[in-house]
Amino acid sequence: MASRTISKDIITLKGSAAIVGEFFGYAANSILYNRGVYPEESFAKVKKYGLTMLLTQDDGVKSFIASLTSQLSEWLESGKLQRVVLVIMSKATSEVLERWNFNIETDAEVVEKGVIREKSDKEIMREIQAIMRQIASCITYLPCLDEPCVFDVLAYTDKDVAVPFTWIESDAKLIQNPQMVKLHSFDTKIHKVDTLVSYKNDEWDEQ
Amino acid sequence: MMLRTPPQRKRRAESVAGDESPVSDRRLVPYGGGAAAVPIASAEPSDPMVCTYHCRQMVKSEFMVAFNTLERQVGDYQARLETLHEQLCRSDDERKKCQDHLTFLEQELAATKGREHALQERLLKEVTDSHERHRAQLKRISELEVELNRESDSRKTAELSAASAKETIKDLEGKLQRLTESSEREKNMLKKELSFSQDSLNLSASKLAANLERMRLRAENSEKEAELLKQELKGLREQLNECLHQKSEVEHKLSRFSASSNQNTPTEDQKLVKLLQEEIRNYESEVREARRLRSSHVNNELLKEKLLEEKGRRERAEMELSKLMEFQERAQKLELELLSWKSLLREIPDVSCYDDIPKKFAALQKEVIENMIKVGEISASLKELEVKLEDASLSRQHAENESALAKEKAESAALGAKRLELMLASVTEERDRLKKDSFVLDKQKAGHTNETLLKDLAEKENSIREMENSLHQLRELLSHQHEELELMNEKLNVEARKVKSLEREGDRLRSEIALLESKLGHGDYCASSTKVLRMVNTLAVDNEAKHTIEALQAELKRTQEKLQAVEELKGQSDVGKIIDANIPEKLVQLKSQIAILEKREERYKAVFAEKISVFRRACCSLFGYKIVMDDQQRPNGIPVTRFTLQSIYAQSDDEKLEFEYESGTTNIVVNEYISQPEISHQVEIFIKKMNSIQAFTANLTMESFNKRTLS
Repeated sequence: MASRTISKDIITLKGSAAIVGEFFGYAANSILYNRGVYPEESFAKVKKYGLTMLLTQDDGVKSFIASLTSQLSEWLESGKLQRVVLVIMSKATSEVLERWNFNIETDAEVVEKGVIREKSDKEIMREIQAIMRQIASCITYLPCLDEPCVFDVLAYTDKDVAVPFTWIESDAKLIQNPQMVKLHSFDTKIHKVDTLVSYKNDEWDEQ
Repeated sequence: MMLRTPPQRKRRAESVAGDESPVSDRRLVPYGGGAAAVPIASAEPSDPMVCTYHCRQMVKSEFMVAFNTLERQVGDYQARLETLHEQLCRSDDERKKCQDHLTFLEQELAATKGREHALQERLLKEVTDSHERHRAQLKRISELEVELNRESDSRKTAELSAASAKETIKDLEGKLQRLTESSEREKNMLKKELSFSQDSLNLSASKLAANLERMRLRAENSEKEAELLKQELKGLREQLNECLHQKSEVEHKLSRFSASSNQNTPTEDQKLVKLLQEEIRNYESEVREARRLRSSHVNNELLKEKLLEEKGRRERAEMELSKLMEFQERAQKLELELLSWKSLLREIPDVSCYDDIPKKFAALQKEVIENMIKVGEISASLKELEVKLEDASLSRQHAENESALAKEKAESAALGAKRLELMLASVTEERDRLKKDSFVLDKQKAGHTNETLLKDLAEKENSIREMENSLHQLRELLSHQHEELELMNEKLNVEARKVKSLEREGDRLRSEIALLESKLGHGDYCASSTKVLRMVNTLAVDNEAKHTIEALQAELKRTQEKLQAVEELKGQSDVGKIIDANIPEKLVQLKSQIAILEKREERYKAVFAEKISVFRRACCSLFGYKIVMDDQQRPNGIPVTRFTLQSIYAQSDDEKLEFEYESGTTNIVVNEYISQPEISHQVEIFIKKMNSIQAFTANLTMESFNKRTLS
């Protein structure tokens, strides 16, 4: 008679931070592709989360996102990161057109005591997959970005965080009277990430 | 049977009593006889026959008249009797009708009475049930409240004890933290020592590894040589065999030749012999060489075995090193534990020896666990109480619903009672009317049988009075129930108000949540606890910083020139100066701009210096060279960047390499260190022949590392 060993998916703080950092990297790439910030030919297909994801091949953007995700993972491990916002602005006027808001709730007990949690990797992947699908489907309701745009990433951290030399303090780059759409969230039992997109009202919608 | 014609006696009496005849004076003469002598008042006894006939005729006529009148009277009486009889019949009919009506009313009354009684009983039952339930609920609620108070008191005491235990735990934790800090400090010191010892061990291990590699390389080389020698040996052996074979043939030939032709030219034979001898000597030398090679091969195999032994020793040494490290760590841990236990012994009260500490901790843990269990039990009991309260509230709601139903039933019963009252009133009215009719009938008829009716009416009146009394009691009950219902309604209103307030609070909280979500989506944040950071592209920053620094420097120069010009202008014009009122303000503005620009420049310089220092440190740790960069200018004016490299394994400060970088090409600069024979040899091989500065620096690093470790 064959014996079965039940494997429990244990999640540590480091693992959860890595998952969330990786998620943000792929989400940023997906947003940049779907919103047309960079041309389609500059993206290559890869398999991730059971989906075909698109990753930029531009060296500058790649290195930017890589260094960003490594710093975010560091902050997530220390429990100092509250929110990450990807801002899309007009290149000409620097007006903020969209804010992709990723709110992060950290389990303080795990950060302080280093306890571990249990959650299936498949479940987390399924939740992330749902968010990625929603990002891909956002073109149905978000206004078209007809002008050249640039992006930036803001990190909302605790006040006592030491600012690395590659980061500076900034304003929140808010949108006046935005429209908001709440997307799905995912939870690793250590970090809970809520996604929300706020965008400037389209002139056609206002009319 | 009533006689139509009255008897004579009556007639006589009547005639005597009543009627007056105009004819006679009421004296009667008996006809035909003188049996009954009636005093005759007439004086004349002589005309008796005429008188008597006349009297008889008179009497007859009078009798006839009286008979007629009597007949008429009889007729009248008969008619009256008939009318009375009709009236009696009618009254009988009416009485029967009234009796029927009365019986019907009685039946209805009995039915309503029965229904009322049943309703009353049901109402009483329901009221008693609701009362009992209410009382039971009140009892339960009071019991629950008492339990709640008890549990809250016990919870408070448990919380106080838990708080005190937590405080003691916090104190102990503080002490432990201090202990851990002190132990960490010692640990760091020991770590440093360990690192030093590890470095030394690593150095020795690397030495061993280098030796092993050298030995391995030598062994490989010797193996290769041995293989080559083997091959040579094989070839030589074959040659030897051939030579021996040839030798044997030659000897055989020689023997044949010597036998046959002894007289042949001895000089040729001698030459042949000499040649053969030379060849033999050569072969022998080759054989000797082969033997030497064989011996060297054997030596190589011995070396190989020695190499394997040394490898095994090295592996054993490494394992023992790792074990040593583990033992050291264990010893450190044990020392730390000992220190911690010692300090605990000193600091923890009521502890005299090491054995007491775990007991003390176990006791504290037990206390904490007990307190936590108590707290858990109290919380569980609180939850049970909450559940019971919820059940009580649900039952109260149920009772309220039942009371509402009872209220409705009471209202319906009141309506029914009202209907019954109305019916009773109508019945009493009819009764009164019937009484009046019966009284009239009694007056009209003599010896009528209305006593039974009166009796029945009296009984009915009694029953009606009883019903009125029961109605009165029902009314009292209903009023009491109304009062209770009003109380419950008041309670319901209070609960409804509480529910409304809770709903309002819930709506307020929902609106707050929506507001917070909108704020979150908008991007608002609390500036006292949060800061917003933005990542900057370092390369872009460097370029931008350089550009800004250059621009700021240019601006600075310009402003300084302007300042100088202005100051010169000020110095030149002493008398009759054209004082421009705006110049000092402009000066102030320019100075402030200069200060701002200088601050910016300093900041950019600081940032750049930080980055560069980090980069230099990283390069030093990765490649093993401290790099110093200098920008110089050649005599011909061409700018050149000079890099000075000093290895971290350098044994003196003079051991420096210098390179010049110019437009993509790097050239080594000759100095005293490079002019040393060893270094110059390496420069020739790696830089000049192989054109690889990286290989040169790597080789130099390895050699200096080996020198350092061997020394």
